[in-house]
Amino acid sequence: MAEPVVNLKRYLLTRNLIIGWVTCVLLAAFLLNIPKINILEHTARNLYFHVPMWFTMMAAVFVSAYHSFKVLKTGDLVEDIRALQAARVGAFFGVLGLLTGIVWSKFTWYVGTDIWWNMDPRQYMVSLQLLIYGAYFVLRSALDDPRKRSRIAAVYNLFAATTTPFLLYVIPRQMESLHPGAEGNPAFSEITDPLMRLVFYPAIIGFIGIFWIVYTQRVRISLLKYRVTQDSEM
Amino acid sequence: MNWIYGSWAVLEKDIRLEMRSRYALNMLFMFVLSSLLLIAFASGQEPMSPRMQSALLWIVIVFSASIGLGRSFVAEEERGTVLLLQLNIPGSQVFAGKLIFNFLLLVAVNLVAAFVFRVLLNMTIQDVMLLASSLLLGSIGLAGVTTLLSAIIARATNRGPLLPVLLFPMLVPLLLSVVRASRHALSGGLGWAEVQGDLLTIVGFSGVVITAAFLLFDYVWTD
Repeated sequence: MAEPVVNLKRYLLTRNLIIGWVTCVLLAAFLLNIPKINILEHTARNLYFHVPMWFTMMAAVFVSAYHSFKVLKTGDLVEDIRALQAARVGAFFGVLGLLTGIVWSKFTWYVGTDIWWNMDPRQYMVSLQLLIYGAYFVLRSALDDPRKRSRIAAVYNLFAATTTPFLLYVIPRQMESLHPGAEGNPAFSEITDPLMRLVFYPAIIGFIGIFWIVYTQRVRISLLKYRVTQDSEM
Repeated sequence: MNWIYGSWAVLEKDIRLEMRSRYALNMLFMFVLSSLLLIAFASGQEPMSPRMQSALLWIVIVFSASIGLGRSFVAEEERGTVLLLQLNIPGSQVFAGKLIFNFLLLVAVNLVAAFVFRVLLNMTIQDVMLLASSLLLGSIGLAGVTTLLSAIIARATNRGPLLPVLLFPMLVPLLLSVVRASRHALSGGLGWAEVQGDLLTIVGFSGVVITAAFLLFDYVWTD
């Protein structure tokens, strides 16, 4: 196993930059004025949190798939740990995106009804990605030998990743959506205030940065644990 | 030529073994029959909409595939013939043979399921060719996914009901388009042009999945 070399100075600098960036984004998200929209009112601020979760999960899916590919190419266990931790953190962000979306729709469009789960394409896509990661974790626990586990889990991760793009094509044609840019709904950039977009795009970068911090720290802890216990699952 | 010969040898071996015991075939048929009878009993005389009928038909097919097709590589592992295959035939030929065998099995099961469904639930079929082609194309995609996943679970130490867990999240795009295509075949009225998008999605899905499976199979098959 090739121990990764980290330039500590650069790492700390990047980390502090991200923390400063996210702090600014959070302050702007809560303090700046937003236009009054009828049903949304102040819940529109959730845009800064709900949507970046989805972007962050997509980034995590890419990172995880990339490292799974590297596992097959090099057979390095570090890559396996990276793929696993990216999947775990990505699944966490997916759950957050799902929860913020459900709560948001419940207290705006569905206030006064019993609807918690609506038939929204994006909701289905996130829950399917979470199911795939659930299956990925279950498969990992069914394999004993670390080397075999790294390879077979990588195969499943990549194989499942080939089917998800079809969802983007299939599901939106069959269901209606609350989201902008979907069938019949105006595109995001047309209906969103320029000032809100000024906070929204940095928020995406900030949350992806948070993903990167959590992910690298988890990989680091996992490597330390692996050195002690020879178990890459922890 | 050699490649086709090798795949054919694996396919022929599997068919011969299947004809001796008829284990997978009998199990699949019994599963389809009993689950369809359960559906018929549970739904009673209530007439079902084409949407429900095609959804139930495909759920039965997907469940039977997840139960019956999981054995193709597990059986090799149990009989201890994995090493023999690895020594004699390259991985891609083994995979092609198994894939075609699973496909044939699924086509047989799908035809039986559709026929029994027609009789038990008084399903009216407006467009037989459309239903047949959606069953056929659906079987290709389903066989592609299950064959690689059954190779994956054959390597696991505690298999249990692992295949359905791995299979179902991956099948959703296929299931949605196939259910839509067969719903239009049942209700009729819509021409081929209307369901063209769904059939193309099934073809694309099968193509991508089978290509990925061929590329990834060697990593599962060899140590």
